[in-house]
Amino acid sequence: MKSVMWAQLMKDKRNPLFILLFIAASIVATILFAGGIQTPTMVAVFSEEENAPEIEEKWHELLNVDSSFQFEIVTPEKAREDVMNGVIDVAVNVTETDYQIVIASELPTVSFVQQHVEKVFQREAQFRALEEAKGDKNVRSKMNSYLKNAPIQIEAKGLDGEGLPNFNLGTQLLFAFVFLVAMFMLGLKVNNVTNDKVSGVWNRMILSPIRKTGMYSGYILYTFLITMFQVIVVLILFKYVMNYEVGDNLGLILLIASFFVFSMISIAMLITGFVKTPEQFYSIYPSVIPLIPLVSGAYMMPGTISNPVLMFIADLFPMSHAMDAIMSVVFYDAGLRDVMMSLLLMLLIGVIAMGLGINLIERRNQ
Amino acid sequence: MLETIKLSKSFKGKKAVQDVNLYLDSGESVGLLGPNGAGKSTTISMISSLIKPTAGEIKLNGVNIINNPEQIRRILGVVPQELALYEALSAYENLKFFGSIYKIRGNELDKSIQRALEIVGLQDRQKDLVKTFSGGMKRRVNIAAALLHHPKILILDEPTVGIDPQSRNHILETVRMLNKNEGTTVMYTSHYMEEVEQLCDRLYIMDHGEIIASGTKGELLSILSTEDTIKVQLSKMDDRFVTQVKSIEGVRKVEAANTNLKIIAKKGINLVSELVYLSEQHHIQLINFHTENPSLEDVFLHLTGRTLRD
Repeated sequence: MKSVMWAQLMKDKRNPLFILLFIAASIVATILFAGGIQTPTMVAVFSEEENAPEIEEKWHELLNVDSSFQFEIVTPEKAREDVMNGVIDVAVNVTETDYQIVIASELPTVSFVQQHVEKVFQREAQFRALEEAKGDKNVRSKMNSYLKNAPIQIEAKGLDGEGLPNFNLGTQLLFAFVFLVAMFMLGLKVNNVTNDKVSGVWNRMILSPIRKTGMYSGYILYTFLITMFQVIVVLILFKYVMNYEVGDNLGLILLIASFFVFSMISIAMLITGFVKTPEQFYSIYPSVIPLIPLVSGAYMMPGTISNPVLMFIADLFPMSHAMDAIMSVVFYDAGLRDVMMSLLLMLLIGVIAMGLGINLIERRNQ
Repeated sequence: MLETIKLSKSFKGKKAVQDVNLYLDSGESVGLLGPNGAGKSTTISMISSLIKPTAGEIKLNGVNIINNPEQIRRILGVVPQELALYEALSAYENLKFFGSIYKIRGNELDKSIQRALEIVGLQDRQKDLVKTFSGGMKRRVNIAAALLHHPKILILDEPTVGIDPQSRNHILETVRMLNKNEGTTVMYTSHYMEEVEQLCDRLYIMDHGEIIASGTKGELLSILSTEDTIKVQLSKMDDRFVTQVKSIEGVRKVEAANTNLKIIAKKGINLVSELVYLSEQHHIQLINFHTENPSLEDVFLHLTGRTLRD
């Protein structure tokens, strides 16, 4: 086992750029897709109505109530140009009573912004309906003063008696992208098994006194360690250098990440069992992997995916369990016992996939 | 020392190797000759315990080792057809890895590596990355990797494919040295007749998954002891001339290529006068004419009706 690990390490030592690129990819992807939510997301507001300045001013004030977004009034031309050039993800074309979202591509921030804008416009539509029904122009101020002393008031508190923590999609996206890049990295490392089988190195090992368990353990342990190294480096950089919200319990987060990495290595091993050549693996694996975070809802607010079929598929992959556990730790201070079920499910997926994968690889050898 | 008895292998019902009987005595050098797809690599994979036979036995010193492959693996060195090396590592690092999987450690490992590198003549390039090597040098490292644990039997599967003549000679010399000086038993597969002729004491000729002939070079050549091979160079080729040569009494086979004819005929018949007569009739000049001793290539042609590299 040690010899196999040493050989893999020496190969990476000769080409460290590969690992550095993966670490950089994790950081760049997070900054590109999640960075905008960590600081307020810039959203352009414009109107093309006759009384544009008035309309823009009205909605600018009503939309700017959440610290997650910063709406800025710009000209229609600038708004469209900025969206087209990727300077901003979203712009909102407002009218007196309605709005239109301007986007260039379906980025993760778009649905988040749309949810917020929709909420504000719906509330205003309700006020207008009430004003018309009552014939009273002061409904808004009356409603606000009434709500200040409402007969029934709800105060939400967390389990620790403190206020409810703010869910941060940026943090969720950070982990989603770190795991996405980790999945690519571990897949390429597991593919060394197929590479070595095709080159004949595998046969040399079979003819040697090294046991099959030692051979597989060497590849698996090396892949696990190098992927965990990447995950640890990236999370430490985010937490201590870039000051992202990664949670206080980094130890538990890394434990969850380690179960996730093991589980994904097993799935990569399962895919290895279906292919004959490294090239086949390269064509299948990168096509499957980006779908896992999508199906698992890793790019969306919790609860966005409600389709039972999709939820069932998501449960078959470790990512949904890993994200659930990590979000619980980061936002709700969950402890080891709270995330135990997610860890066990990932372990179960890992053991089953690994067993099937190795069995398929061995059958192919015959 | 090592023998196979009715060794067979089928892949999805298709027979790749059928009823192969062969043996290797200690210290001898045996060639396994056959065209591509003859079943040589499958036979070798079964002998080296990489794949299980569908039927038959493999005996090492009289003991069947099919279900107990460790016995043969300990004393076997296999040089595969493919370059089973890590190109990103140096020659030394590759050998260090392959030595370490044989549980050779420390000074002993270093000595084994230096010995293997010396045998293949790459001691001065040991620190260089394999990816910077020529095809021939890579093949030599491939051989060195099989020598680290001092195997008693060395199986080489077409070790000279795709390399320059100089490297080829070096490899052949290395194999000869291992066999003659170190007493290593060698099994050498190739589809280059001259390599096997040069290296091996005995030969097995395989075609379509079966052994079609075996013996020493002399024994195999005696298959053609009743025939002469005559080579003729003509000023031009004429199909009618070839047809008439074929019809001469005692002529068994005629092969025409460009302006050359290869005639296999009954031993002792005088073809000269007949050929001179026919060439005059067809206004063809006889440029060269000589009788050749039959080669193993001729034996293969005689047995299979085709050449080794068809």
